[in-house]
Amino acid sequence: MILPDYYEFCCRVKIVAGHDALEKIPALLAEMGSKKPLIITDKGVAAAGLVDIVVNALKDGVTIGGIADNVPPDSDLRVVNQLAGLYRDNACDAIIAVGGGSVMDTAKGVNIVVSENATDLMAFSGAGALKRRLKPLVAVPTTAGTGSEVTLVAVIKDHEKHLKMLFTSYFLLPSVSILDSRMTMTMPPFITAMTGMDALSHAVEGYYCLQKNPLSDAHSLEAVNMIHKHLTTVTKNPADKDGRLAMAVGACLAGISFSNSMVGIVHNLGHATGAVCGVPHGICMAILLPYGLEYNMHKCGDTIAELLLPIAGEDVYLKTSKAERAEKVVSMIRGMNQELNSITNGRHPRCLQEVKDRDGRPVVPREILPEIARAALLDGATIYNPEDQDYDDNLLVLEAAWEGRPLDRSKIKKG
Amino acid sequence: MNLTNGFAFTCPFKTNSGNKALEHLPVELAALNAFKPLIITSRNLTGPRAMRILTGAFGDSGMTMGFFDDVTDTADLNIVEKIREIFVKGQYDSIIALGGGVVVDVAKIVNLAVSQKIADARQLSPATAIRDPLGPFVVIPTAAVTGMETSKYAFLNGKSFDSVHLMPDLVVLDPRLTWTKDGKTIAEAGLAAFGRTLEAYIAPDKNPFMNAYAVTALRFIRENLTDAVNKRCNKKVSLAIANAAAMSGCVISNTDQNVLNRLGQVFQNIVHVHPGVIIGMCLHPFLDDCMKKDSSRISSLLLPLGGDDKYAAMPEAGRAGEALRDIYEFSYEIYRALKGKIPRTITEAGIPQYLMDDIFDVMNHEPDGAYLRSIIDRVSGGSIKA
Repeated sequence: MILPDYYEFCCRVKIVAGHDALEKIPALLAEMGSKKPLIITDKGVAAAGLVDIVVNALKDGVTIGGIADNVPPDSDLRVVNQLAGLYRDNACDAIIAVGGGSVMDTAKGVNIVVSENATDLMAFSGAGALKRRLKPLVAVPTTAGTGSEVTLVAVIKDHEKHLKMLFTSYFLLPSVSILDSRMTMTMPPFITAMTGMDALSHAVEGYYCLQKNPLSDAHSLEAVNMIHKHLTTVTKNPADKDGRLAMAVGACLAGISFSNSMVGIVHNLGHATGAVCGVPHGICMAILLPYGLEYNMHKCGDTIAELLLPIAGEDVYLKTSKAERAEKVVSMIRGMNQELNSITNGRHPRCLQEVKDRDGRPVVPREILPEIARAALLDGATIYNPEDQDYDDNLLVLEAAWEGRPLDRSKIKKG
Repeated sequence: MNLTNGFAFTCPFKTNSGNKALEHLPVELAALNAFKPLIITSRNLTGPRAMRILTGAFGDSGMTMGFFDDVTDTADLNIVEKIREIFVKGQYDSIIALGGGVVVDVAKIVNLAVSQKIADARQLSPATAIRDPLGPFVVIPTAAVTGMETSKYAFLNGKSFDSVHLMPDLVVLDPRLTWTKDGKTIAEAGLAAFGRTLEAYIAPDKNPFMNAYAVTALRFIRENLTDAVNKRCNKKVSLAIANAAAMSGCVISNTDQNVLNRLGQVFQNIVHVHPGVIIGMCLHPFLDDCMKKDSSRISSLLLPLGGDDKYAAMPEAGRAGEALRDIYEFSYEIYRALKGKIPRTITEAGIPQYLMDDIFDVMNHEPDGAYLRSIIDRVSGGSIKA
């Protein structure tokens, strides 16, 4: 095991997992001296009945200070300020965020406003502007994918001023993350598939990106093993409680890994594809992940090969020669996409040309790939990718991912 | 791993490890909103060199700091009270513990006293409620550690404190400080961390978050401890052991499986023997018992200790035996390199019968006291009566 000349690793979030983890929230809040939480969520989560499950689990253990389900899909400063007002008016002393990335971002933003008594959130944007502990924040993720229950970042948009504020601080880490199988039981197969592949992309990119370290590696290996073992089975059988819990745990492990080692080309091109064409993040991750591995293979083939045992198990590992292990990892991940495509009757796309909108129209026309390749150059995720990306390389990867054919690695400009 | 019963995991400390890690300290302290730390250390136990390196690292950061370097191995709550007064009078806002063992135990309890605004630290007891997160607390280990520095436990003069809030916010592992010429010191730290993480790793109810720390610690120790003991000029291998020791503190704080840890602890408390000595001694009988109980638990050890190829190539039926062989070989190498500097039996350790009687008394109060005694019986070396 390689000890880097220097590394940092941090995940201060307490993890509580189980089929009845939600019931532990009142005791956890009491430990932190809180008894009146504000629940922040969105309409989709509430409509799926998940907030009812949370409220029922809290029962008489705490007084709920309010339930706000108006978080928009894109975080919004106005909503942050409105929810902060609700928090103050109802004399709340903690936040429970139930939902995905946008809910977590909004809850973190509200927490800054109420803890710092801030009128201008902008004053706390950037890295390390927060200097003290915020109010207790309990994160309850409702997808097994984003890992935002363990990340120290929040993005809040000011739609009036057309500003996107980024906040980074260890104080933004939730106090506790609750991984409860009931929160993902109703996720439809198509969403289960793409969010699970999002988690896998965190684990895998976290394993090969430049800031990797022994602890992020260990989290990645655990995550890869759990996600590979359970993703296709829970997609096939959504009622698989143990599988759902394992996926929630796997996604959380993956979140810890990538938030320490950072992410690379898969996220870089994925962010750009999402921004230019509106493709859901998990779909981008699923499609691009095999290409990210192929693109970086000449730089870190041995590292990628180390993923084979946790992903494929002993039999496949033994039958694969050392020289072929990295490529076998890629084909295993392609195999997962293929299987998810079959289970979802084709809804889980295998390549960019297969991504369709609700009316069945293609979302990523081939002629838009140059625009995505250019947009990707502006995204920060390139910094931690092992190979230096440029426009030509980006386009090369995107073309292959559009067609769904393996990357011609001889054409990569090797830096 | 069976997740059905649910679990909780927490590791509140950040790890900064490697070259010039100390130079990041002012920035890290500022991120914890700390600008005036009190450094707690020991002239005699930690030595002046570590202090020089640490103060040098602050360089021209403009940070004011205070020192208390008078912690002794017999420290008690009187020392804690003395440091508490210095902290309050000097208006310090954070604590840095420089060193290992008792230095960090004292610092943890000072942090408890000053954060909870205790009027007289001598009144602290294991019954003291530790609720809110405490003030900013950094641990900077030297080579002479027990592995408990990063844990939720603190032991002082017979008093035992246990709270996740006692764990540091940050551990800084700098090769200038974690390196030592003394093979015995590093072997003690390595064996203590090895035993604790090994026991947690083979536990049936382990969780994957704790497991990530355990796997990493086990691999670091297996791959580096022999070299760290033999090639004493290699800073990187001793840094790997320091990493493993720090991780073991997280592991022991997140497991209920702690037979080896408790054995080490009781000897440390009563006869001031390093827990690594006792844990190293008891490893073989403990593993023999585990093997008899459920060999499948031992077989999984072959993965971190032997590596992917060895693990995959060995059929399941042979893995436990191979893992045990590997551990025996590994510990044989360590003890051979130490040339008798670490005792292998209680008799060799020279612990007299009357102190052993005290130790057995403590063990008798444990629910599994009979089992603990049965392990000690097997490493007594003949002359000790359990």
